[in-house]
Amino acid sequence: MIDKTITIEDLVEEYAFSVNFLSKKGIRCIACGEPIWGTLEEACIEKNYNQKDIETFVKELNVLAKN
Amino acid sequence: MAIDINKVLKKLGITDVNKGVSTGIEWFDTTGAITSSSSPIDGKEIAKIKNGTLDDYEMVLAKAQKAFKEWRLVPAPERGEIVRQIGLALRAYKDDLGALVSYEMGKVYQEGLGEVQEMIDICDFAVGQSRLINGVSLQSERRNHRLFEQYQPLGIVGIVTSFNFPVAVWAWNTALAAIAGDVVIWKPSSKTPLSAIATQKIIDDVLKKNNVPEGVFNLVVAKSSVMGDNFLADKRVPLLSVTGSTAVGKRVGSIVGKRLGKTILELGGNNAVIITPNADIPIAISSTVFGTVGTAGQRCTSTRRIIIHEDIYDDVKDKIVNAYKKISNKIGNPLNENFLVGPLIDEHSVNAFTNAVEQVQEEGGKIIFGGEVLEGKGFESGNYVMPCIAEAKNEFEIVQEETFAPIVYLIKYSGEVQNAIDIQNNVPQGLSSCIFTLNVREAELFVAASGSDCGIANVNVGTSGAEIGGAFGGEKDTGGGRESGSDSWKVYMRRQTSTINYGTELPLAQGIKFDL
Repeated sequence: MIDKTITIEDLVEEYAFSVNFLSKKGIRCIACGEPIWGTLEEACIEKNYNQKDIETFVKELNVLAKN
Repeated sequence: MAIDINKVLKKLGITDVNKGVSTGIEWFDTTGAITSSSSPIDGKEIAKIKNGTLDDYEMVLAKAQKAFKEWRLVPAPERGEIVRQIGLALRAYKDDLGALVSYEMGKVYQEGLGEVQEMIDICDFAVGQSRLINGVSLQSERRNHRLFEQYQPLGIVGIVTSFNFPVAVWAWNTALAAIAGDVVIWKPSSKTPLSAIATQKIIDDVLKKNNVPEGVFNLVVAKSSVMGDNFLADKRVPLLSVTGSTAVGKRVGSIVGKRLGKTILELGGNNAVIITPNADIPIAISSTVFGTVGTAGQRCTSTRRIIIHEDIYDDVKDKIVNAYKKISNKIGNPLNENFLVGPLIDEHSVNAFTNAVEQVQEEGGKIIFGGEVLEGKGFESGNYVMPCIAEAKNEFEIVQEETFAPIVYLIKYSGEVQNAIDIQNNVPQGLSSCIFTLNVREAELFVAASGSDCGIANVNVGTSGAEIGGAFGGEKDTGGGRESGSDSWKVYMRRQTSTINYGTELPLAQGIKFDL
């Protein structure tokens, strides 16, 4: 189960598809070949997404994780 | 000669499941997450690692604090003797550690050996430096006073390393920190923990034989949820040396800056080569191609842009493409010495590469060589790519970014060399740069005040591959840190100015009168 407090490191490791999903939203999870530090929420806020956007992303990621 | 990786692992003490926390004397059976490390060469799991927990971090930190109190009192040349012996131990294990670096990270074996040689070189450098931790004697304005500056040990140095140089960067920092009287806590990349564990095992015997206090050389393999922001915010760690992306560096700078701690930041580069009509073209081509495809473009100093004068552009372009054609037959298992280019570290890096190939075309660039993901026998891991050459403009968004993969952009310039230098400087990063020219005016201009704005500015030497003797680091988004040679050792120390009154009177500075 993905929630907004998951670290990008864990997200990338456990849900590799997230990298492409977030890349399309302008959020870069990998830089210099390594996951960036911080949580999913922090990465989204860095790109000026609000809490509603973040909730939507989390829901969509969880749907993708089930498939 | 084929390398038997199982023999290598056995010799280095790597088992199926490995402890990931060490204080230099003891290894700890931790209860954190059990992660695994896989080789990008064949995608196979190499071994598992028991990660540290928050309690382990606290335990190591306490031991490091205690060790510092002892270690700082050991005379610097004696500390240097320990580093000398570490250098000897690394020599003894050079082939094996080089092979493991190659297998776990994916760089070709020769570069794996080169990485271990860097560790040896910095140990040698640090041994000499241990007798040269010098201060300055100054002239006091007051009679019977002595004024001087000296350098004191700083404390705990946190070292965060990246996958592309999984062990050399630790050595750059640790050898200097150790002779400076500091103790270190190493958080290695989660992609290359076994190289770190092997290194720590190599130095174990030296530390035990010499009764080095427990806690001087520490290793903690841990996730960033265990050892991330808390490590950065920890006031008990006065200096953080972090190698990574600009994104990570900004986070580190922000958190450590809030507590006014010290940092050494070695971040991304966007390194350019300038080739002028006065260049020795064969040297320029050979050097540049090593810079673009060496380590599969995964060095901080890899060449990302080639800025070529319009008069020689077509000729140079053809020669570079021809060199790439030769390279295309030399991509494969990096442990096989017939190959010059190995895999990217993982699928994410492959995706970053293919995304860059797409984006440069969307922005109006043209692919003139490579850009494909390789398939078939020997490439089953999916991590091998054909290095890419694209014609592009410097202002493209993708050109302004660092893509950590073998994609290089050809950019045309016209007129004087200053125009090329301006193009080169017009990116956010400022790590490494070089010019190929036999014209002394062009060469001198490149290294003058109006020349390259990078931390490294070479003439007739490519961007990639620095010697340990010079200070290594870059400006702007590269972070501004310096490590390795020259006077980088000073960053690991506390600068202190002292005035001693050996007279019978109490004159104040600036002649101030304050009679009670």
